[in-house]
Amino acid sequence: MMKRRKRSTLSTYVYYLAMFVYFIVIMYPLYLMVVTSLKPNAEIFKNPLGPPRSFYLGNFITLISRANFNLYFLNSLVVVFVSLFCIIIFSSLAAFILAKHGFKGSTFLYSFFVAGLIIPIRLGTISILKMMIGFGLHDTLGSVILVSIATGIPFGIFILTDFIRMIPDDLMHAARIDGYSEPKIFSRIIIPLLLPAIASVAVVNFIPIWNDFWFPLILLKSQSVRTVPLATALLFGQFSTNYGHVFAMLTMASVPVVITYLIFSRWFLKGLTEGGLKG
Amino acid sequence: MKLAKRVVVLSLVAVLAMGLVFAGGDKEKGKVRIVTTSWRTEDVERMNRINALYMEKHPNVIIDFQPTADEEYDANTTASLETGIGADIIYLRSYDEGLPYYEAGHLVDLTDIIPNLDKFPSAAVGAWSKDGVTYGLPSAGVTHGVYYNKAIFKKHGLTPPKTWAEFIKLNETLLAKGEVPIAQGALDDWTLYEVAFSGLGANFYGGEAARQALLAGKAKLTDPNFVKAFEAVYSLKKYLPRGYEALDYSAMLQMFASGQAAMFIGGSWEISTFEDMGADPANVGWFAPPVEKAGDRLQYCFHVDIGVGVNKNSKHLDEAIEYLKWVAGAEYAQALMNELPGFFSYTPADVKINDPLAAAMFEVIADSDPTVRTVWEKLSAQAPSGNELMGIALPGMMVDKYTPKEAAEFVQSQLETWYPPFRK
Amino acid sequence: MGSNVLHTRRKWRKILFRLGFLLPALLIYTFILLIPIVDSMRLSFYTGSGLIPNTFIGFGNYIKIFTQEVFRERVWGAFTNNIKFFLIVTLLQNILGFFLAMAVTRPIKGAKFMRKISFLPTTLSVLVVGFLFRQILNPIWGILGNFPWLGNEHTALPTLAVAVSWQFIGESILLYTVGIDGIPIELLEAARIDGANWFQEMRHIILPAIMPIVGIVTLLIYVGDFTQFDIVYAMTTTSGNPRFKTDLFGSLFYRTAFSTPARGGWGMGMGAAVSTIMFVVVAFGVGIWFFVFQRKRDA
Repeated sequence: MMKRRKRSTLSTYVYYLAMFVYFIVIMYPLYLMVVTSLKPNAEIFKNPLGPPRSFYLGNFITLISRANFNLYFLNSLVVVFVSLFCIIIFSSLAAFILAKHGFKGSTFLYSFFVAGLIIPIRLGTISILKMMIGFGLHDTLGSVILVSIATGIPFGIFILTDFIRMIPDDLMHAARIDGYSEPKIFSRIIIPLLLPAIASVAVVNFIPIWNDFWFPLILLKSQSVRTVPLATALLFGQFSTNYGHVFAMLTMASVPVVITYLIFSRWFLKGLTEGGLKG
Repeated sequence: MKLAKRVVVLSLVAVLAMGLVFAGGDKEKGKVRIVTTSWRTEDVERMNRINALYMEKHPNVIIDFQPTADEEYDANTTASLETGIGADIIYLRSYDEGLPYYEAGHLVDLTDIIPNLDKFPSAAVGAWSKDGVTYGLPSAGVTHGVYYNKAIFKKHGLTPPKTWAEFIKLNETLLAKGEVPIAQGALDDWTLYEVAFSGLGANFYGGEAARQALLAGKAKLTDPNFVKAFEAVYSLKKYLPRGYEALDYSAMLQMFASGQAAMFIGGSWEISTFEDMGADPANVGWFAPPVEKAGDRLQYCFHVDIGVGVNKNSKHLDEAIEYLKWVAGAEYAQALMNELPGFFSYTPADVKINDPLAAAMFEVIADSDPTVRTVWEKLSAQAPSGNELMGIALPGMMVDKYTPKEAAEFVQSQLETWYPPFRK
Repeated sequence: MGSNVLHTRRKWRKILFRLGFLLPALLIYTFILLIPIVDSMRLSFYTGSGLIPNTFIGFGNYIKIFTQEVFRERVWGAFTNNIKFFLIVTLLQNILGFFLAMAVTRPIKGAKFMRKISFLPTTLSVLVVGFLFRQILNPIWGILGNFPWLGNEHTALPTLAVAVSWQFIGESILLYTVGIDGIPIELLEAARIDGANWFQEMRHIILPAIMPIVGIVTLLIYVGDFTQFDIVYAMTTTSGNPRFKTDLFGSLFYRTAFSTPARGGWGMGMGAAVSTIMFVVVAFGVGIWFFVFQRKRDA
């Protein structure tokens, strides 16, 4: 942050006030979500806004025991981790070539990939559905994983290419002299240096993949493969008459992303800023 | 390195959480799993209890009830069946909403499979048959009427109305006493049409006879009798709660269940919904749709709701058919009516209705001319479908976008763009 | 000759190595992201009752959409709603986002903490945010339930836009923060020594520095909003209640392509036509963006 001369003028107070109001506006819905999820349904009506009278976990227990929420959690985790793994591997492989082994057309190829940052993949949904049916991947987590990888690659290549470019060529030359092959240079030298950027790519992609609702809605049909957002949407009807359940469901869908964000916020914000500004 | 530390922390948290979440877990080996699907997500628990009866006698079979949210049900089921991943047992809505599954070749011909098919009510069989082939077991029908809060009625010395005039007077009294008369919103498109218009309006447009005339293209929704039905629904506007424009279905239910409104225009399937929401069953009363004039015969919307079909491509076709036969039988019928009062089984068997509300709803049938929802059959076969149009017109009417007459004209004119008998 | 063989072999190895490294990303990106968009456009020239349309009908779907009132009304409605939605979100996110970014870049207590917190809503699923707002607006017990926000034709769409802005304003704040942080301190110091007041400082130093960011924020909002679906699904159902007043391209596309006729489905071929129209709208907007902002940058 910038070190500026302190000016305790009127504007500072205005900014303080703005920040305070904004804090309330952000936190109130989240507070409401968590607090309501800890109340039994009857209490929500009598005491909709206050803190819960007791720490009631019944809503969560119901969701896990009766609604298979644990299974949906596992499905989401599988989708997220497999997708992230592939995004990172595939993007860093390609980024290595684009950054250090440029050839005729590699600049074009780079722009070709980066254009994906603003191409909404949803516009290809019908054909994706058709393709997944053809591959026999319809109604499997694999279909959603493939889509997530394709959506994540542009950002991965964008960030990682930039980062690899900054790695001094001398380092690679030295390794070549030591007899390292290119793949070995990649795995032994580039990857370890790349870790902070990989962290950014991972965290920035984690959130949209975890939250994706559109493709699971279109591609997944059976209960056994539902992801958390899809289950949340489809169970909304089942529990909509019980607000305690609804809020517990929303809380459970949000906790993983919020925790990940809070732990990794530095890499997250860094990745996003670079992604947004250089684009 | 700080990053590494954080990765470790996150992994630990994740593992811990998963450990907690997966503390339980069941194993089933060598069993046949029959997946059944429906649009009634709120019934999971009750359906599981019903199916447990079957599983007791068939220990090698697991009946897995996997409903999908109402809005997504038809789209999901179509896609699943087309791609060969459909459930074994498919719940079918009546007429044109269930028919496409059969026409696309996904359903087993049940004509010779269902025991006693000829003893089922023929109107119900007709809702899941085409050209003499029955593709859906007529499982259950539902009726429409008005729920009321007994305590609120008692407090103001009110009794259930018989005629529309009495109904309106009752609403006026409630309003004057500071109560919210009717928990009805105009946000979810289906409630006003399926329940309020088809349920309460039938007495005005003339029930089944009028509906048949409409289907034949001999009557129009713009005829005076239908417009009268639109007007009747519209006249209830002043008895709706503040903010009714934004009141969705679950908020409506919640409002009535928690005693914040005196009445609820509803379907018989909501008996168990209110119970699950914590309303005292002894405090919930019900009356039939008020007739237009004293002495009129009740035109009662007894809608064909649930048909059950078998997926032709089921991997366990024999077991699925075996299960369906059980669903067609007396044990299932009784269990259904116990667990889900308000769903009236079509099974020709001696079944007792133990729930007093359901019994009241059923009793009325004898003294009425039953009918089904107004534009459900045939008129909703194509886009823009009658169901969809009514779902636009009625909420629009309730927020004064259309007058009752304009609402009727809107639906009629849109149907005329494709419904063959109207185009002649 | 020997060296030549060695040379070609080396060359081939080099090509193979490059290809091997590039291929996984290239294949998945091309086959899952790019080709389906083109293929969906192709499918918009087909019709059929099955899941995948198979009868070629030329421009039949488009003719239907542009000549039959029932279809045209919906597409036009979604288009105008989407424009309004985009404008509201853009105004909110740019203006409020900028002022909040000004606040969190002040050297005041809590600013750093607020930077972190402001991004919290963005991490949530749009679906969760939609359901959450729906409860807050619930007429029976929601804290903002005193007016039928979602039931009123005039307020429903802006309400959705506010919910979306609530969620994504963190993104704008973040980008503006970086822009403001990037302004050299000397520049501001010099301005102050020259006696520049708050407005002059804003007009001559800060705004010029963040103009490119306004462009990026707007582009992100544009692409996101013209494919927005989740918020409509969560708050006003796929039919965009009340009476399609909150119907956006995303919900129109979902309904027409993936729903049954009784629920507003038009069949996959028509759905593909709708998504092609969406593509044209998005591409048109992005084209204008490049024209306006990139040209400026080059100049």
